[in-house]
Amino acid sequence: MKDLKHLIYFESLLEDAHNELVRQAIDSGGLALGYTCYHMPEVLLNVDRCFSLRLRAPRTGSMDIATYYMSNYTCEFCRALLERAIEGGYNFLSALMAVDACAEMNRCAENIEVQKLVPNEKFFVTHIDIPYKVTDYTIRHYTTQVRVHVLDRLKEVYGVDVSDEALRKAVEEHNEVCRILTEIGQLRKADNPVITGYEYHILNLVSYCCPKALILPKLRETLEELRTREPDEKPRFRARVILVGSEVDDPDFTQLIEEAGALIVADRHCFGSFPGRQEILLNDEEDVLTQICRDYLVTSQCPRYMSQEKIDGRRQFAAQLAKEYKADGVIYEQIKFCDYWGFERPIASQIMHTEFGYPVLSVDRPYMSRSSGQLRTRMQAFVESLEIKKIQREREAEKA
Amino acid sequence: MKDNRPNNLGHLFNGKMAMKRREWRGFKDTAYDFGYWLLTWAQLSAMVMKMPIRFTKALFRYRWLASYLSTPAFIDRHTLGQRGTQLRITHMHFDSMVKATIKIVLTTFKADANLGESPKQKALSDKIVLFDEMMMLQIMAGFPNLIGIPYQLVPVFECSLMDQQSSIPYIDAIESYGLPSDTCPLPTTEAGVAIEDDYPRMGKCFIGSTMPCDGSVMSTQYQDRRLKLPSFAFSLPVRYDDPEVEKAAVEDVRACIRFIEEQTGEKYDWDAFFKTMKRFNRETEYEIEKWEVNKTPYPQMTGASMALYRMYTYQMNGGIDPYYVKLDEKVNKVMMRGYANKEKCCAEPRHRAIVWSCPAHYYSNFATWCENCWGINVLVDMESLNAVRPFNLESQEEALKDIAHYYERMTMRKHTNGGHPHVLEELWRVCAEFNADMVIMYQHIACKTMAGLNGLFEEQARERGIHLIWVEHDLMDPRTVSRREMRGKVNRYMQTIMREEPVDPTLVDFEDEKAW
Repeated sequence: MKDLKHLIYFESLLEDAHNELVRQAIDSGGLALGYTCYHMPEVLLNVDRCFSLRLRAPRTGSMDIATYYMSNYTCEFCRALLERAIEGGYNFLSALMAVDACAEMNRCAENIEVQKLVPNEKFFVTHIDIPYKVTDYTIRHYTTQVRVHVLDRLKEVYGVDVSDEALRKAVEEHNEVCRILTEIGQLRKADNPVITGYEYHILNLVSYCCPKALILPKLRETLEELRTREPDEKPRFRARVILVGSEVDDPDFTQLIEEAGALIVADRHCFGSFPGRQEILLNDEEDVLTQICRDYLVTSQCPRYMSQEKIDGRRQFAAQLAKEYKADGVIYEQIKFCDYWGFERPIASQIMHTEFGYPVLSVDRPYMSRSSGQLRTRMQAFVESLEIKKIQREREAEKA
Repeated sequence: MKDNRPNNLGHLFNGKMAMKRREWRGFKDTAYDFGYWLLTWAQLSAMVMKMPIRFTKALFRYRWLASYLSTPAFIDRHTLGQRGTQLRITHMHFDSMVKATIKIVLTTFKADANLGESPKQKALSDKIVLFDEMMMLQIMAGFPNLIGIPYQLVPVFECSLMDQQSSIPYIDAIESYGLPSDTCPLPTTEAGVAIEDDYPRMGKCFIGSTMPCDGSVMSTQYQDRRLKLPSFAFSLPVRYDDPEVEKAAVEDVRACIRFIEEQTGEKYDWDAFFKTMKRFNRETEYEIEKWEVNKTPYPQMTGASMALYRMYTYQMNGGIDPYYVKLDEKVNKVMMRGYANKEKCCAEPRHRAIVWSCPAHYYSNFATWCENCWGINVLVDMESLNAVRPFNLESQEEALKDIAHYYERMTMRKHTNGGHPHVLEELWRVCAEFNADMVIMYQHIACKTMAGLNGLFEEQARERGIHLIWVEHDLMDPRTVSRREMRGKVNRYMQTIMREEPVDPTLVDFEDEKAW
């Protein structure tokens, strides 16, 4: 396939959290709000002159100092963010919007707060409490948390307009990004898609890590380009997989999977598009904030939810994606030392295999996994096993 | 104390499962200690004799059950070197725990379908509400006709305290299933017991919880899947200091009560609840008195017995059994007598210490060793310092808030949840209050909530001039860090930093890898 026009530009934007577009937005008076989890409603961080920035620590090397503060037994993603903060990599932030959803990320945010790592006079860290199930009263609770600790704080500290009109405007912009990425995502259902998993991951990542208003024109253009893009004559991938798990903000990881021969057709992970890149549909009857908060709680696929319907729901969701996107197998991945995914991965892998009939590869991985030969070998072996299964199926069909 | 001062305690360990012989503590104390040892055996034997057939079946059915045979040795480990008041209090505390456990074991085995089904067994099983890891039972005070059982207490929690090897097969089983080896061994073992199908089969419904950490949230689904009972996710807010969260917490308590009512057909009895909580409030007052005495230069109960007993009264009993308040009264009398006589709690008290973070289950008597070997008196344990606000005894609305308040601040959860002030700044406050110069800082390596603050603890202790002795352990897996290695951490600190000589040199290094 012909290279996407803006792919190299998008890749360059992902090389630094403080990228060209972030600098541009700040120069024109924007407030950069860092966040780390789906449970901090992204759309609300794009209200008025604020813009959301899902924190990453690209090109992480040593994490020695963060390891001193958080031990070598904690999630590498959290440590990488802390290390980057200590290095001064987030000094441009106006606030860190943290959620108390997972203990390790909470401690990362607390270290940033207690050590006063961002030398911005008005910089603040806020924490919101996240429910473990979805009921009427937990939605009310979550909405209150967001109102008090996010919107009210932004208004108090920076005078941000958090009126219903401003929220609706932010939702409109968010929805446009979602429409574009959903339409691009739909192209992945084709037998010979015009977009690879790696390319989609890059597009999705820039939508999380750049100011929406500034990245939108390039996304629109890319969608146009994809509508007419010619696929390779013969698919170069040997199998189709969906990727499920914790944070994958490292495009090199998706590239590693695809280099092994598995095309990623759907991404159900933090930094993925399921959930996160679906439109938020608002009505005129109910309070806007409640509608937004409900949407985030209901759509979240995080393993921390412990009510039975959410537990069953997230497995069915993954199976549904695999079916819809015609996947041959499922890759469950987690960043090492993540407690939630550490427990979810083994049981979900078993269930996906025994109850839904999908071959599963279950891996834990370092934050930066590009150089992992072990991981590459496992991916290659998985692709081969999928191929063998496919051949066996075809032979059986021929016999029949 | 002068005539029968403990010495050469290290010679009691011979590298085998049990100690070489019992400790000689002088005639009076040895007789007292021996009397309780006999009593423990008598109670265990009586328990077996109450239903010998089901017990025999259980012994073959459940791998963990054999660990209970080491109960007397478990108590011996905690009384080592103790004399006078301290010895009496420890025995009274442990005896109450033995009694409570026996009660739970008997109920469990009577109701367990794995050991045989019958209408009687079914009727009892239908009265049981199972509670998840470390949950308190206060909510059951309003269901006097039902029985609340902490589900993992007998198969997981207590065994791991009594026998350091008990969790290992379950940890290996769940790791073979695919669980990474970096997760906390407590939820790991719980999930392992579920995978091995080693939980008793009983109960009408299950109350799962988020307490106290992410691992425990996640292991619940493994048990849920195996139990196949109607379950309720009791999930109180994490940031419990925030005034905005109270409404949701109360709603969740209300929903939990409603769930139990629907499942069992029982109605919540507020009169019974208030009556029980009156008793619980009294128990809390006694607990506070213990802390107050330990803040003085004459602490009367040091080591793990206070924390373990607190766990029983606060969590597993919650005022429901009137036995505890009577025992508290008795302990209080003994303690106040010792305090009035300015009795020393050990032969040579040198340092006043606080234990912070969760202690190793496989070495619950570590504080006893610290005292005997180095004269480090552990005055209080993080796990004891839970909620102490008295329950409102008149208003149902206020009582619901109190229930939420207590559950939010239960063992571990109070400190590890809701932000760093609850565990970091809280430690310095407790050190000042107890006039402590030293902290035994357990570094449970798989506890990510605590690990996330390692550096801040270290820096802030240094700023305050507090001796922070880091002692690594892996909670229920002694293969990662052995008891000997744990002792080595304290030994090295005391020898190189404090430049002190041990109180009992025979305890500095000895072999106990194969011991219970």
